[in-house]
Amino acid sequence: MAPLLEVADVQRTYALGSILSRHRLRAVDGVSFTMAADRPEIFTVVGESGSGKTTLARMILNMVAPTAGAIRFRGTDLRQIRSGKERLAFMRQVQPIFQNPFEAFNPLKKLDRYLFMTARNIAGLTAVGEIEDATDRALRNVGLSLAEIRGRYPHELSGGQLQRIAIARALISRPALIVADEPVSMVDASLRMSIVNLLRQLRDEMGVSIIYITHDLATAYYISDRIIIMRKGQVVESGEARAVLDNPQHPYSIRLKQAVLSPDAAGSAGRLLAESATAAET
Amino acid sequence: MSAAASTAPVLQVEALRAYYKISSFGLDREVRAVDDVTFHVNANEIYGLAGESSCGKTTLIRTIAAAIKPPLRVVGGSVVFNFAGRPVDMQKADDETVAAVRWKHLSYIMQGSMSVLNPVRRVERAFVDFAFRHIGKRKPEFLDIVRAHLQRLDLNPDILAAYPHQLSGGMRQRVAIALATVCRPEFIIADEPTTALDVIVQNSVLAMIRDVQKEIGSSLIFVTHDLAVHANLCHRLGIMYAGRLVEEGPTAEIFKAPKHPYTTHLVASLPRIGNTAPKKGLEGTPPSLAAPPPGCRFHPRCPLAMDICRTQNPPMVEVLPGRRVACFAVTPPGRAA
Ligand SMILES: Nc1ncnc2c1ncn2[C@@H]1O[C@H](COP(=O)(O)OP(=O)(O)OP(=O)(O)O)[C@@H](O)[C@H]1O
Ligand SMILES: Nc1ncnc2c1ncn2[C@@H]1O[C@H](COP(=O)(O)OP(=O)(O)OP(=O)(O)O)[C@@H](O)[C@H]1O
Ligand code: SF4
Ligand SMILES: [Mg+2]
Ligand SMILES: [Mg+2]
Repeated sequence: MAPLLEVADVQRTYALGSILSRHRLRAVDGVSFTMAADRPEIFTVVGESGSGKTTLARMILNMVAPTAGAIRFRGTDLRQIRSGKERLAFMRQVQPIFQNPFEAFNPLKKLDRYLFMTARNIAGLTAVGEIEDATDRALRNVGLSLAEIRGRYPHELSGGQLQRIAIARALISRPALIVADEPVSMVDASLRMSIVNLLRQLRDEMGVSIIYITHDLATAYYISDRIIIMRKGQVVESGEARAVLDNPQHPYSIRLKQAVLSPDAAGSAGRLLAESATAAET
Repeated sequence: MSAAASTAPVLQVEALRAYYKISSFGLDREVRAVDDVTFHVNANEIYGLAGESSCGKTTLIRTIAAAIKPPLRVVGGSVVFNFAGRPVDMQKADDETVAAVRWKHLSYIMQGSMSVLNPVRRVERAFVDFAFRHIGKRKPEFLDIVRAHLQRLDLNPDILAAYPHQLSGGMRQRVAIALATVCRPEFIIADEPTTALDVIVQNSVLAMIRDVQKEIGSSLIFVTHDLAVHANLCHRLGIMYAGRLVEEGPTAEIFKAPKHPYTTHLVASLPRIGNTAPKKGLEGTPPSLAAPPPGCRFHPRCPLAMDICRTQNPPMVEVLPGRRVACFAVTPPGRAA
């Protein structure tokens, strides 16, 4: 059986600067990993801001083409997906959740319409009742309901509510792989736990594999099976998530873990921040 | 308020109510996103705001920053700024005065600010438009200041030549922070400014914000869901639930001994590296602010709820010096002064 996902030595470069001083930036620089088809898992990507995590996600979602290397989903090279039909079939199976819910929605479109459109176009449902049921079910998975959002526009909702709707939207087509780019960065600690518990439940009960991009090492520790740590486009450390986070080996991973702020420092009034910032410079 | 103008708070928010009034399908609906909130922020103070998603934090600070657009309306209470002993009531002052306060003294980093940059203009243009007049230096010196400032945020100054879509989410978020702090404002209002950053960069950014704040003794309202950031940054903390402030006090005390049942849950729910014990989100659903539960808005989810909680709204009571809590289990009814 072909693996669910194979990322083979992918690279993505961008031209930067003015036409005169062109240089190329390697946003993703030789990343490889494989996710098995018969063993759903939560595969976590952490790393420096600007290290290529979102670019990697966009390549896996077939929104950006690799400059070199290949990505295969269930054995099919993403470059071979051409017709609208193939594209739809791919989207049904691989769904995104993006970083910033304020950007993910069209401000002029009512949210329920948007979800119905997903149910119709991507999940392929046709009956109105079916479409509404699937939408409501997905919304209930994230602690909302169709009744609550009917007729509402994105700006009428808070950041956390929008992000939950983005997750619900990804669930409608019952995908095999979800690529979640910082899905919990905008929600409160309690909701954050319910959402990562939900990701775990999707893995365990629906067999969905999840690529979880995050800056939150605590939730990464809590739900991940495997982890990669990225810096400047490259993977600097990878392995079983708890082993890596318990005992990081690469100097960058060690610094990253040390920089995690502890709530137990309450009252230090920034002392730790100052120390951590000076440590980062040296 | 006392005669000691010099110690008067820089910001005094009094019984503030701000509602969204919407009519859809001929039905009028009122979302009571900020309902009777009172607090103040002193000079040289970092005040943190935390609370459940959609409890009204953004609405509260939007109202404070006078960024009020329909359907949001202030239906009661006041927001008074006091810069250099000159109080300005933002609801009563004329548009010109409000605009002057916003332009001269306030700086507001909006939630999701990474998406406010104009997509067709290079980052440098945003700095010129936004800060050039403020800083009042010649162009080369101005750009030197901007470059140095970007470096404090771990950003390569070369990004001035980039378009926003060429930057990562966290890079754009830092550009928004740089824009809001390069002029060293006296009052910074920041809504989730570091959510898209790795922890190393986040700490540099927080340290920069703190340095700027200290250098000129600014005040700062800092909204975030990341309680560890609050713990490390803020002098005092206000906890909101369903449009109301339910607890307030010095940061260390709130973490050490939370008193309101919602705060207790919040502090207990923090995950930590090395800990995989199952943690649950808060039971029950967040209350609708269009039809909030009567009495204490937390009662449907509160493990300590009593009969009175279902009918009466617990007042905010000062239970210790500088420590206020709105809960009948903390202040039994009748004992509130
Ligand atoms: N369309 C583009 N054109 C040019 N450069 C780009 C483009 N998209 C991304 N980059 C660059 O590629 C690098 C990686 O960006 P990416 O968004 O993948 O980072 P990231 O790891 O997701 O960061 P963050 O944690 O801040 O979201 C950055 O230096 C960014 O400036
Ligand atoms: N323009 C609007 N019209 C109608 N309702 C709105 C509007 N903006 C916000 N609301 C509602 O007001 C309530 C408070 O929203 P607000 O954005 O202030 O929450 P928040 O505490 O900042 O949440 P988060 O932590 O998720 O950002 C929510 O129920 C939201 O749906
Ligand atoms: S007032 Fe009652 S319901 Fe509200 S938090 Fe206190 S005990 Fe719970
Ligand atoms: Mg990103
Ligand atoms: Mg908000």
